Amino acid sequence: MTKVVDAEAIRQAIERLPLFSPNALQLLQVIADPDHELEDVIRIVKFDSVLTMRVLKVVNSPVYGLVNEVTSIDRALSYLGERMVVSIAVQDNAGQLLNKPLEGYLGEQGALWRHDLFSAIASREVARYARGDFDLDLAFTGGLLHDIGKSIFSDFWKEVAQDALSQIDEGMVADYLMAEQDLAGLDHTEVGYRMARHWQMPEALQRVILHHHHPAEAPDWVQPLVYAVHLGDIVSMMAGCDTGSDGLQYHLDTGYREFFNLSPNALAEIVLNAQEEFSRARESLTN
Amino acid sequence: MSEIILGIGDYGASKTPGGRVKTFALGSCVAAILRDPRNGAVGMVHVALPDSSINEAKARQRPGYFADLGLPLLIQEMARLGSPDNGRGLVVKLVGGASIMDHNETFNIGKRNVLALKKHLWAYGLGPLAEDVGGNYSRTVSVFVDSGKVVVNCPGRGEWEV
Ligand SMILES: [Fe+2]
Ligand SMILES: [Fe+2]
Repeated sequence: MTKVVDAEAIRQAIERLPLFSPNALQLLQVIADPDHELEDVIRIVKFDSVLTMRVLKVVNSPVYGLVNEVTSIDRALSYLGERMVVSIAVQDNAGQLLNKPLEGYLGEQGALWRHDLFSAIASREVARYARGDFDLDLAFTGGLLHDIGKSIFSDFWKEVAQDALSQIDEGMVADYLMAEQDLAGLDHTEVGYRMARHWQMPEALQRVILHHHHPAEAPDWVQPLVYAVHLGDIVSMMAGCDTGSDGLQYHLDTGYREFFNLSPNALAEIVLNAQEEFSRARESLTN
Repeated sequence: MSEIILGIGDYGASKTPGGRVKTFALGSCVAAILRDPRNGAVGMVHVALPDSSINEAKARQRPGYFADLGLPLLIQEMARLGSPDNGRGLVVKLVGGASIMDHNETFNIGKRNVLALKKHLWAYGLGPLAEDVGGNYSRTVSVFVDSGKVVVNCPGRGEWEV
């Protein structure tokens, strides 16, 4: 008995989403450009008084323990890194979505933001083990946005989600994503992809959102990035930082070996570093 | 109710009537849970990784993070509540150590955590009386002083006793 959620209602909910500010969007575009420099990010922040204020507040958060107050954006950015600016901009533009309780997943308020932030940090840590050159901050940004689709999908999913876990346990579907497709007729990656298109996000980020559970299906040019986020997402769930009932109910695609050289010890280091940066980042962004 | 909540790498013990020790969302981490039937004390350590040798700085800063250091610390903590410091007579339960589906050796941290804890328990002559480990779901676990019960729950899967 398949109950399918109303795809048209989801389309309308996406249509109604407020757009990202031009500055935030420009920031994401700059981050997605492999040739960008820190200067480009600094310029965007300086143009945006709200973002400037937020960045200075974060860098002066007690968790970083800086002795002298930082008052220049240049210093703030070289200390925090581009990734914290991205976090602030995403929080300012999609904070409401990211902080919603995920009823369909039995995820409490804030669970999605925590999961996305942890995944972002872990994706960047994974990217350090790339066999080739890698844009670490883009991996972070992809991780931060990868599950954004759950924010909208969850409200529809809650109507049909009850059978998902028993279907998986009984082997009727392969994983949680397949349960979503089977019971709802679509899944959180598709919804997220459509949200990213509505927001006119850079294509690389759209692809991360769409393919993060099946990275082999991503086009070649963006596959390494998608694999980094695929693994960052998994590390985040392993660390107990999931979004609720779907935690760990997904598959690992070992095709990552082509792009990353990960020994068990490397993975342990990733877990350690991610955990540590996550608690700092989370605290500085909350204060 | 006096409640001790443990984060990753924390350990704690209690014998306060009505008390409990609890930790959330273990994922691939493992909770080693001890109980002393002689005085009713209970304790828990939330271990994230099997072996502290990968990072000495972290090992000093947060020893409970690692199976090899966390377990002895928990046994010491139990000793402060009156249990023997060699761990004799303690009842052990293990909870957690989940994994992603289709994991390979690298991503099997959960299993490595469980094996490491068992190895270190064995050095004390201890072994788990019960365990609820593995699988593809993250567990939250509490141990209660009064009843000694170990209760596990997981979003969407309800609650059960180990
Ligand atoms: Fe996902
Ligand atoms: Fe995720």
